[in-house]
Amino acid sequence: MKVVSLDPRVNRLPEISGIDSISRKAPLDQFGTYEVFVQPKEGKPFQHEGIVHAPNLELAFLLAKETLTRRFMCSSIFVTDTRNVFVSPTTENDQNVYDLIPSAGPAQGNARPYEIFHLFKRGKQHVHAGQVAATSPQEAMWIGGQSLRAGKMIYNVWAAPTDTFRFTRDEERDLWLTLPEKKFRDAAAYKAGDKLKTFLEKK
Amino acid sequence: MNTAALKELLYKMADDQLILGHRNSEWTGFGPLLEEDIAFSSMAQDKVGQSYALYQLLHALGEQAPDTVAFTRNAPQFHNCQFVELPNEEYDFSLIRHFLFDTAEAVRFDMLTQSRYEPLAQLAKKIRGELRYHTLHANTWIRQLGSATEESISRLQAALDKAFPFALGIFEPSPFEDQLIEEQLFAGEQALRLRWLERVQTILAETSLHLPDVTLTTPEFGGRNGHHTEHLQPLLDEMSAVFRIDPTAEW
Amino acid sequence: MYGGGTIFENIKGTELENEDPGQLAAFEARIDRGEKIEPRDWMPALYRKQLIRMIEQHAHSEIIGALPEGTWITRAPGFKRKMALMAKVQDEVGHAQLLYSAAETLGKPREQMIDDLINGKSKYSNIFNYPAFTWADSCFISWLVDAGAIVNQLANAKGSYGPYCRALDRICAEESFHLKYGHHCVIYLATGTAIQRAMFQEALDRWWAPMMHFFGPSDNISAHTETLMRWKVKMATNDDMRNQFLDMYVPKIWELGFTIPDPNLRKNETTGRWEYTEPDWDEFKRVINGDGPCNKERLAVRRIAEERGRWVREALQSKQNVYVTPLA
Repeated sequence: MKVVSLDPRVNRLPEISGIDSISRKAPLDQFGTYEVFVQPKEGKPFQHEGIVHAPNLELAFLLAKETLTRRFMCSSIFVTDTRNVFVSPTTENDQNVYDLIPSAGPAQGNARPYEIFHLFKRGKQHVHAGQVAATSPQEAMWIGGQSLRAGKMIYNVWAAPTDTFRFTRDEERDLWLTLPEKKFRDAAAYKAGDKLKTFLEKK
Repeated sequence: MNTAALKELLYKMADDQLILGHRNSEWTGFGPLLEEDIAFSSMAQDKVGQSYALYQLLHALGEQAPDTVAFTRNAPQFHNCQFVELPNEEYDFSLIRHFLFDTAEAVRFDMLTQSRYEPLAQLAKKIRGELRYHTLHANTWIRQLGSATEESISRLQAALDKAFPFALGIFEPSPFEDQLIEEQLFAGEQALRLRWLERVQTILAETSLHLPDVTLTTPEFGGRNGHHTEHLQPLLDEMSAVFRIDPTAEW
Repeated sequence: MYGGGTIFENIKGTELENEDPGQLAAFEARIDRGEKIEPRDWMPALYRKQLIRMIEQHAHSEIIGALPEGTWITRAPGFKRKMALMAKVQDEVGHAQLLYSAAETLGKPREQMIDDLINGKSKYSNIFNYPAFTWADSCFISWLVDAGAIVNQLANAKGSYGPYCRALDRICAEESFHLKYGHHCVIYLATGTAIQRAMFQEALDRWWAPMMHFFGPSDNISAHTETLMRWKVKMATNDDMRNQFLDMYVPKIWELGFTIPDPNLRKNETTGRWEYTEPDWDEFKRVINGDGPCNKERLAVRRIAEERGRWVREALQSKQNVYVTPLA
């Protein structure tokens, strides 16, 4: 079927036979998801910004950059496969989730580093709390409860092994260098008050 | 400073970026994956933004304002290489072009950080992060699709074969080559081509793709002198369709 | 960009009586306290189903909404407009990405949603089934359709589902650029040449009826709607949102000296409500059911995009890359 459109781009699209009869997308036509964490400014904590669909970690990093950090400020991002993130229950009111996490018992094998994330308020984003070394995700959460709680009310915890992340490399820090200058994506660049005023005065 | 040589350099760079940015923006909303749609659009925006910055440098050197220069000239007055004006075709060709062109652009701007023309050197330093992203993006996709399935490899190979003579057209020598080098404004197309070829080959060596033999390929020259394919004028007519309704109007 | 519409009708088979009364009470108490529901919380099946449907339609409206404005992406006049329109259409794709992600947390995979879209099983905002004939149409969309969407989205951002609210917070921040950019474009047309003014007046004449349809027909306030409002899924009635839009934007359109093609449009100062000619809801139904000027084109373009991108996605499929429900 050839589409005829007011959009010249659409008129240039190739003719694809059988486009009307496509019944389903191929069942496998689906990538996994990666959780994306963004640091808005040097020195600020990373926070969860959303997900991207990607075929692998490297492409997830690449695609996350424009999907979730093409506005405002960003100094660094990191991403990990959704399947690497272990999630605690979510509590409410004055129930600190850490009080529900049991001690993991005796160590099972070698410890590895985990990144820990906290939810301080329902409806907000998870915020990076720090790193712990543990032999299991549950132990990582338990240790997080000891070392990263900092007297705060926490409703949900995520733990993910550090070696599963794609971090921003030092030499990649300049990826966001011109971000603050991309004013054309910013409402503030579209001021027409003076033009409007002159027009109204003439009217 | 040889202003004529400098202007020639700035015009061809600006025209390249504008035309390819325009072409790449055609993918917005039609990309193969939502996230890639967004990424490709950002890079198109970067390109148009870079062309704007270059036209501003030209404006400071006495040329007309960026909008006038970009939206009112006809094809014979454009100095872009023919490579950037070719239609997008399928994503295979668009990606290969992005890889070949952006690698050249990244090397060119890297060389220009040393330019004696300070405003250009400043610009080159400022946009290094954008260029890093463009090449990271291109390299990652080419590495992955260039060694994935039979279909993706053969698609990219066919696109590469078609694109290569046009890609060599990027390096069409300027009539001012010697002056540019002598005055240290730019180290020249020949030096750029050598570094480009090395980078392109390094990435392709990690894939199942093969670069056509440079010595057996005739570059598609002409664009730098205003000789274009039949694709450029319709592109310009389309780009300026609204602007030309009334070029004196403010839109 | 999304308005209201028919999304809350005809949900069957999710009777509240089948829910556990204790869990239901705790769920409702949480919403009453103003707390957000997070993906792994217990929730009634009706809540989940309605939210998926609403967020999915919202996402589809963004990805399809990229098309009418995309009509002018290669023809935007001048650098400033060219850069802005590229970024704006890109944002619509980005909003779809964010909204699909939010809907995914409720258990429906993105590819299934896209599949339902291109097979005509899911709806999207009716307004995008109309064509953008001139540059001024794209300006109308950027300014006023986005303005309508903001009315709707600001309301929904106060809803009860955490991931949807987070997506909407981001989206609303980006929409402020769309709105300002759109208004900027229209001010330039309004204060420009006779040709420019006429262009926008014609666009306004074309788009006013779809704009009035945008928020959907008056709601039938059933027990069902009341439940959804209590659960903060539906945040305002369609009429309230339409009224709010008219209140904010009719004066701005009039201020620019344009004529809105409805002789009965006026604000009743006693009631504080706007009065207008009742929109043609038969046309609305006809268009939403597939018989609008651009329905076929919009879906065909999405299908072609999916089909052309297939080899890219297939090439990078691997057994190691497995889809699971995203977290938040």
